[in-house]
Amino acid sequence: MDVYLPIFLLIFIALLIIFGALILSYLIRPSNPSLIKQTAYECGELPVGTAWANFNVRFYVVALVFIIFDVESALMFPVVAVYKRFLQLGSGGAVLLSLLVFIGVLIQGVIYCWRKGDLDWIKSYRTSSDVRAKGLK
Amino acid sequence: MNMFLMIIFTLSAFLAVGGALSVAFAKNLIHACVYLLFSLIGVAGLYLTLGAEFVAATQLVVYVGGVVVLLLFAIMLTGGSNLHHVTSRFGLESTPLMGNLRTYIMGIVTALLLIAVLCNVLQGSISASAVVESKFSSTVEQIGVKLVTDHILAFEISSVLLLGALVGAAIIARPYRSSETEN
Amino acid sequence: MNETIVSYLGETLGYSFNWAGTLAIFFIASLVLASIMALIGGLGTYAERKISADIQMRYGPNRVGPYGILQFLADGVKMLLKEDCIPRDSDRFIFKLSPMLCLVGVLASLAVLPTSSGFILANLNVGIFYLLGATSVVGVGIFLGGYSSNSKWAMLGGMRGAAQIISYEVPVTLTILSIVLIAGGLSMNTLVGGQGAFPNDWYIFHNPFSFIGFFVYFIGSLAETNRAPFDIPEAESELVSGYHTEFSGMRFAFFALSEYIEVFVLCAIAAALFLGGYNIPFGLQEHGLLGQLLQLAVFFTKSFFLYYVVIWIRWTLPRMRVDHLMILCWKYLTPIALLNLVGTAVWMYCFDGKSFYMILKQLFVASGQ
Repeated sequence: MDVYLPIFLLIFIALLIIFGALILSYLIRPSNPSLIKQTAYECGELPVGTAWANFNVRFYVVALVFIIFDVESALMFPVVAVYKRFLQLGSGGAVLLSLLVFIGVLIQGVIYCWRKGDLDWIKSYRTSSDVRAKGLK
Repeated sequence: MNMFLMIIFTLSAFLAVGGALSVAFAKNLIHACVYLLFSLIGVAGLYLTLGAEFVAATQLVVYVGGVVVLLLFAIMLTGGSNLHHVTSRFGLESTPLMGNLRTYIMGIVTALLLIAVLCNVLQGSISASAVVESKFSSTVEQIGVKLVTDHILAFEISSVLLLGALVGAAIIARPYRSSETEN
Repeated sequence: MNETIVSYLGETLGYSFNWAGTLAIFFIASLVLASIMALIGGLGTYAERKISADIQMRYGPNRVGPYGILQFLADGVKMLLKEDCIPRDSDRFIFKLSPMLCLVGVLASLAVLPTSSGFILANLNVGIFYLLGATSVVGVGIFLGGYSSNSKWAMLGGMRGAAQIISYEVPVTLTILSIVLIAGGLSMNTLVGGQGAFPNDWYIFHNPFSFIGFFVYFIGSLAETNRAPFDIPEAESELVSGYHTEFSGMRFAFFALSEYIEVFVLCAIAAALFLGGYNIPFGLQEHGLLGQLLQLAVFFTKSFFLYYVVIWIRWTLPRMRVDHLMILCWKYLTPIALLNLVGTAVWMYCFDGKSFYMILKQLFVASGQ
């Protein structure tokens, strides 16, 4: 169990550093807040509206695709870790095959997304074929 | 190091349960998401105390690094957290009700069913093994061997599932469906 | 073998520690490592300025101490003395939390840093996977930092930063998978121990795929730490300062410190996975403490070399545009990393896990007979 001890100690030390520095700085720093000082920086102008606006759906897609790859790699990590041992035992072929099938299925997904233009970052709200026809891409 | 185990367990359990409760009671969506982050880290700690270090690391990589970011992005799609500031007639801030009588009945039935199933499952496991000092053999390799021998079909089928998820994610996120725009 | 610093010390001193001793040793070692990392983070800012000055034919900081080397201390004192400004419309809870998340995530990842065969803090069985998980907390911290300020610049920077970090984690993870394939284990000592002291035993020259994989990993880790040419989350010319625009004083310092430490950690992992890590030649690692210190020296030399390359790249290449960045990740690095993974698996199968050098040597010996 003491294998995990350093992790928790490091987290503890990180908190120690953070709160130590914050408390130290609280004791010695000046504090004279003013209304103007506490506005968000918007190039010297008064901020217009809030920054918490609707965001582009592309970010969401990136996160979705990322999670899928993440789960995939989480599934592959144990298999990959034992691959060498299976090779030494002489039955690496089966593991290689299953790994190849696994990756092969996922590569199809990547190819699909690529072909359909889902991997392009800037996508006009016109269709991708429309954009391609006008050469706007 | 049993005491250390107990300390970690207590901390993780408090983090997990406290985080989950805070998620349920938070009014601000982003705050709820942050509490969820803590709850998930607590769950990872619980896995660690059980000796399932690979599952704990997966919890960190997939849930903390992926799902929380996805949820945050999803909340940003809706325009952030300043959504519902509804005041009731007493002048108190209240959140609008979500759903009607039918959904509530459905929800209660589902919750009861889940509790029944969980009780059934937990009864067996609690009586079978109290907190056992698990042998910290390499769980990664055990999982790996299982994945390529006994559960190879599940391993391969999960790739098809992930393929479906990838394609589905790509399709629902497109601005317009291609069939509509071809006209 | 020596698994952690405690078992190493126990073996060399011939003494088995009870739990209090273990706790004390781990605490001291963690404290030392964290302070060294804080020092490296501080010196990183100095090195960055000095190297950039060198590249641009300027002097750089040269007033505080010899060659200005104490500049980072002066900076730290300045940060401590700065007023703590929190924007009025911000989300105060998250505003205070996000720098802490960044720093805690980075410092927690230090537990598996393979500094030497004896001095590693925790030789987890899931070493490299744990590191991925711990550093992914930083992405959340950056996003929350951008979100909480309620400033448009910070929001844009935070969104871009989070999207970029999670995107580039894909090729990085896939490349690490291909190295795990060669080493046959996830723990850091397995990954480093499978290599040798000389370049022909390093994993970067193990096969053509891992050679490409090194560059994929390096580019990906540059992007994961928001370094130039991938520093669009804090692009000064468009986003003022990105996700930490509104942060001042110590809170800003935590962001900066965590960024510099993370750069070092990822450089160290690159050195450990591809460039032989702490391995030293001629069986010197058997010589007790001297061997350990030599291993430390070798490890830190390689890491600092990569650190220098990172800074060098920053002051050489122009910043990329956001769509180019995403195209580079999803259309170049990810497919290359996938093919690398497949290629490495096939190579391991076809050549029985032998490296390129071993095959050449075999051929040479066979032709000589």
